[in-house]
Amino acid sequence: MSATLPYEMPELVATAPLDIHHSTVRPEWVDWNGHMNVAFYVLAFDQASGAFMRNIGLGRDYVDSRSGMTFVLETHVTYDREMREGAPMRFATQLLARDAKRVHLYHEMFHADERYLAATNEVIVMNIDYASRRAAPWPRQAAERLERVWEAHKHLPRPAKAGRIMGLGSK
Amino acid sequence: MIDLDLGAPLDRHRATVLKDWIDWNGHMNVGYYVVAFDKATDVLCEQFGCSWEYTRDKIGMTFVLEAHVTYERELREGDPLRVTTQILDHDAKRVHYMHMMYHAIDGYLAATNELMLINIDYVTRRSAPWPEWAMPRIEKMAAAHARLPRPKQAGRLIGIKKN
Repeated sequence: MSATLPYEMPELVATAPLDIHHSTVRPEWVDWNGHMNVAFYVLAFDQASGAFMRNIGLGRDYVDSRSGMTFVLETHVTYDREMREGAPMRFATQLLARDAKRVHLYHEMFHADERYLAATNEVIVMNIDYASRRAAPWPRQAAERLERVWEAHKHLPRPAKAGRIMGLGSK
Repeated sequence: MIDLDLGAPLDRHRATVLKDWIDWNGHMNVGYYVVAFDKATDVLCEQFGCSWEYTRDKIGMTFVLEAHVTYERELREGDPLRVTTQILDHDAKRVHYMHMMYHAIDGYLAATNELMLINIDYVTRRSAPWPEWAMPRIEKMAAAHARLPRPKQAGRLIGIKKN
């Protein structure tokens, strides 16, 4: 797709890692164990992925203008510490890889006040053509922004928790 | 405690995609696939005798340590779900298992979820061996499930080079 996206682009943030998403553990995210339920970590991380997409120009306007969508193909979460209702969350996001249609992101979720690592999430997100609902190359403006983020992130060390294969032998 | 179900895979969980689970892309949001999968984990824990009453009676809890989801097909509001569960491995404190989510009528695979679950002591909130009633149940289920082929989505490494 080469057409210009029909809405205004936000100012690009290209810090390494990105620190552009904050959130709070909602009461309805807490389960009978008295902590944030596993599924809502995924929802919170998905919102951090949404912040990444918005930063490269593919936020809600991208869908509402019927230009395109982004779909998650795969996600891997490590649950490192419990989070309680009302806990403030800060996310650090690193772009690990990208190609013409996909990004491989790594998020870390921290308790924003106590600063401990609560969870990590690796995720593959793919660009989708609005009409066909099938994979399509990134729009030109988004691809350019993605390259600027990549330039800032490509020399970051690879996170120790990235690339895990699950098993009883894994630590 | 309920009678142990040694069907392989465990095939007891049914659900429906709720309106609240739909996002602005018009399909079930990635987080709510995990909401649905986590209900299937409750069904599995019920087999072990470590479900809601286990926590209500302040005996113990089960925590997920790690989760991997593959999103295979979109699901829409009202779609009926069937989730099956296969135990892949276990030890004194943990169970490694895989859920497969199917569209219950059309039959297609919609998503998979590989998980590592650990038993937790209620008081210390730290890991502890499975209670004595749970261990033989886990072992019997694991033996029944050992005959199943290993799902190809198990043990995946995330990346964008391999597809």
